[in-house]
Amino acid sequence: MNAIRAIGGILKGMSVTFREMFRPTIVENYPDGAGPYKGARFEPRFRGLHVLQRDESGLEKCVACFLCAAACPSNCIYIEAAENTAERRISGAERYAEVYNIDYNRCIFCGFCVEACPTDAITHGHGFELATFNASNLVYRKEQLLAPMPKEIQSAVQREELRAHAPEMAH
Amino acid sequence: MADVTITIDGNKVTAPAGTLLIEVCKSIGTEVPAFCYYPGLSLQAACRMCLVEIEKMPKMQTACTVPISEGMVVHTTTDKVRQARKSTLEFLLGNHPLDCPVCDAGGECELQDMTFSYGAAESKFMEAKLHRDEQQWSPVVFFDRPRCILCYRCVRVCGEAMDVWALGVQNRGSASIIAPNEGDHLECEECGMCIDICPVGALTSGAYRYKTRPWEMKHVGTTCMHCGDGCKTTLGVRRHETGMQIVRGDNRDKSGINGDFLCIKGRYAFDVTHSDERLTQPLVRHEGRLTPATWEAALELVASTFKRIRDEHGGSAIGVIGSNRTTNEENYLLQKFARVVLGSNNIDHHRTADFPALAAALKNTQVRTAGMRDVFNAKTILLIGNNPTDQHPLLAWQIRNNVRLHKARLFVVNAQDIKLHRQATAFAQVPSGSEAFAAAFLAGNDSVGESVGGDARNALLAMRQALKGAEEAVVIFGSEIRGAQVKAAVNLASALNAKIACLGDYANSRGAADMGLYPDLLPGYAQTSSEIFTGHWGALPEQPGWNIEQMVNAARDGQLRALLCVGSNPVVRYNVDPFVLQKTFLVVNEMFMTETASLATVVLPAACAYEKSGTFTNTMGDLQVVKKAGDLAGTKPDFEIVIEIADRMGFDVRKLVSLGGGTRADMGQSRGAQTGEADRHAVWLEAQNLEPRMTPFDPAAVLDEIQRLVPGYGEASRLNVAAGNDEHTTALEAGQGSATSDPDLVVPSEDTLFTSGTLGRYSNTLHSVIESRRKVPADKKTPV
Amino acid sequence: MIPVSEQLDHFFTEKMKEYPTQRSFLVPMLLYAQDELGCLSNQAVEYIAGKAGLSQLEVRNVISYYSMLTTKPRGRFHVQVCTNICCQLRGAEDLFEHCKQRLGIGHKGVTSDEQFSLEEVECIGACSWAPAAQVNYDFHENLTPEKMDQVLDEYRSR
Repeated sequence: MNAIRAIGGILKGMSVTFREMFRPTIVENYPDGAGPYKGARFEPRFRGLHVLQRDESGLEKCVACFLCAAACPSNCIYIEAAENTAERRISGAERYAEVYNIDYNRCIFCGFCVEACPTDAITHGHGFELATFNASNLVYRKEQLLAPMPKEIQSAVQREELRAHAPEMAH
Repeated sequence: MADVTITIDGNKVTAPAGTLLIEVCKSIGTEVPAFCYYPGLSLQAACRMCLVEIEKMPKMQTACTVPISEGMVVHTTTDKVRQARKSTLEFLLGNHPLDCPVCDAGGECELQDMTFSYGAAESKFMEAKLHRDEQQWSPVVFFDRPRCILCYRCVRVCGEAMDVWALGVQNRGSASIIAPNEGDHLECEECGMCIDICPVGALTSGAYRYKTRPWEMKHVGTTCMHCGDGCKTTLGVRRHETGMQIVRGDNRDKSGINGDFLCIKGRYAFDVTHSDERLTQPLVRHEGRLTPATWEAALELVASTFKRIRDEHGGSAIGVIGSNRTTNEENYLLQKFARVVLGSNNIDHHRTADFPALAAALKNTQVRTAGMRDVFNAKTILLIGNNPTDQHPLLAWQIRNNVRLHKARLFVVNAQDIKLHRQATAFAQVPSGSEAFAAAFLAGNDSVGESVGGDARNALLAMRQALKGAEEAVVIFGSEIRGAQVKAAVNLASALNAKIACLGDYANSRGAADMGLYPDLLPGYAQTSSEIFTGHWGALPEQPGWNIEQMVNAARDGQLRALLCVGSNPVVRYNVDPFVLQKTFLVVNEMFMTETASLATVVLPAACAYEKSGTFTNTMGDLQVVKKAGDLAGTKPDFEIVIEIADRMGFDVRKLVSLGGGTRADMGQSRGAQTGEADRHAVWLEAQNLEPRMTPFDPAAVLDEIQRLVPGYGEASRLNVAAGNDEHTTALEAGQGSATSDPDLVVPSEDTLFTSGTLGRYSNTLHSVIESRRKVPADKKTPV
Repeated sequence: MIPVSEQLDHFFTEKMKEYPTQRSFLVPMLLYAQDELGCLSNQAVEYIAGKAGLSQLEVRNVISYYSMLTTKPRGRFHVQVCTNICCQLRGAEDLFEHCKQRLGIGHKGVTSDEQFSLEEVECIGACSWAPAAQVNYDFHENLTPEKMDQVLDEYRSR
């Protein structure tokens, strides 16, 4: 009687196993999966490495208002502002961040900077692999935080530059 | 006027009848918000923010234009008032752009504060906002029209207070716009008062634009390093890769002798501190060329050479030239170094006014010196010579506003038709060089009447009549009167029972004179044999030393073997032939590679006045604190340099800087306290009856000695100075002085509003302003 | 070289004496000068500023405040159509529209032959005879598009 009960138990357990074999897997395949996060998946509101966004024309959204730095409880954001000129336009407004550093030694991922941002320029991405052997690597510069330029704009910019340099080449 | 009693929100208040209601409210701590009201300017009632309810008046009244009268019952916190403020804000915000994140005023914007307090967060206006592009009116003034709330403060401060009238209002109603005098640009004194006074970010400064935000800066209250007026300046400082960088100059808390005033130099010419041409490494001449060296090597070379020359040829073979821009402590230390360590009285500086002659002339008279505050409160001002509008902007401001607000009478005697003529009750144009005769004539000496010419004589005669019985008068004279002639000005002041002031040109010209940078005078204009100093310092060289001219001649003859030149450019100022100094071991402490520095054997990169602590004495004798704001890696303050040289020469620096030896060594003011507050640490120390620990590099120790030894400085309250206030000193009255020093050595700087001696040449802002004015064709230029 | 005629200059000098301060005479001076010159040119502004002892900026502030003062040239006949409430109720907007069509110019426009300029103005005080228009200093009342044509033709033939 005991044996039968034991076998029944095994079958019951195995039925779960077999049933799951035909269902989509929910185990994360990190770090062997595909995509930028190597198979790791996140809830949409996960607060990871910051991303500095661009607007639809590829300009930086950040206008260097320093509100994120002011809101930051761990004082880890450092900004130097500069003025856009007609020749060199970086952001949509008059001012842009020439230097934008986040010190991830100190950042506590509280999200206050994101809430403070009036232009939705700084957002939390899902980047999470921050570990490093050298603490100075944890100070991320603007170039590391910026969202990539949209492809079509990037190619348009390149064409523009080529055109601008074309007459010089002709000489 | 008689006092009346009114009721504000249930509180009884008594104030003189006719006082403005808004001021009475302010005095009891009731906030009445206002944009257009500004103390000292004419009333406008344009913004409608200050509406309050007054009983028995049918409608709400603007508190900024209502003079109080007996029995008035005022309500400032009722729902009706709050609603009115909210609605007013909604109107103001109707066309105001929402660009607070990029606006320079964001964080210190009055409109922002009011919106925060009264919360007109949502707008009922559906119409699109009017947008206009930003305009550049001058290298330092930018105008962003949509941000403007039309309070007209800028128009009034430019016209009434500055007497420039460069801004106007054009069109009317909602189309009104602030307009500059030359259509699309400004032709003015570029003082930046309009930017400072703008409650929003409509007028922004070319120097500070989009650099940072107010809360990101540290604010250091110090004294301006340009002209001799000594305006209190708040420097906004930010971290930078080369040290702390100054990004803004203003007078944030509107305190000090200048209130809200600053001229272009105070507001923008701080940029010399981070000029690309700053020297940041000691240079030593090696095979005919100046090559970089370490501080140790350079100082060692200087010290060993000085020591060798002193021991072999005596101290008189070494000369020292001091500076008009170093602190009192540094000047005092420098002359003490020359006299005690080098054993030489060969010390001089670039003289811009004849202070020793004034000190000598003041002997045995009842005449006192005037402070900058006296000029604002005097009932009669007599200005002889000088053009304060150009050379002493704060003095001109004090005079103008005293005339405007207090109805003071101004009398001007000048060789030129200067701008202050407009404020003058009477003006006399005298031939150049006869200013002293005019003073003597005004004092009642008819015999000199001939030397000023007929027309001037009549004008002076009328002026003499008008001056009779003048009360609370101040006589101010420029460097036109010097040497024995100064006596004439003092006699005039004595006859009028007036206070007197003499105008020197640079930030610490007066301090340099007070601290004894003279070959024949010790600090406090004392004789070289003065027992006050020999008693403390030991034996001093008794024979007066060489002045600048004699030093140059001695260098030509090979008698002057070494010359230490601190922050001064005698090669240009005294037209020295560069070849004369070739045989001399010339050490120059400088910020820049000036004409003098390029001849030097050793150049030591010095910190400027914004990069060190100490005190300045302005030309009127007001003692004020100088606080370290910026810093630049590689430079050292002159204070430190001199002590290091003395130390390396084997001198016991404890004899140079008395550490804690003084009875007054109770304050350590070198810590950077915030503007307008006392150094909390110092206050705490005093409360505990403790002395701060001092190092040989602490200028406070020298200030302590100055206060103990220099007559006229002892009475100044150190706590008050440390807290950022001004204290009048009386070294001129107390000192012996000398009427015999060569008056020809007084070389006025002839600065305009846009130049500042050698230093001003390195300011990009001043340059750009000069350049932009040069572009305007001469026939289109309006006189300012 | 003064921009206005000798007589006007003389008139200004004489009339100025009747005013308490020089600047009190500013607006009349501007009006007289504009009537003579057609508009207040830069030279006129400079001249009047000197005459009234004011800066040019102050004179420009006053000119920009009053809509009847102009720094831009107008036509020989300046047609001002009132569209305030009384005139509006009696069809002034149609009238103004008609003038625009007829002259081929808009508000504050000038015809290419510089004969006519058009402006939509606020009440000119002729409400009893609305709709009304003013050409230079002459009033034309109870207008209809047809009557307006007659008025314009009459001026054109002058």
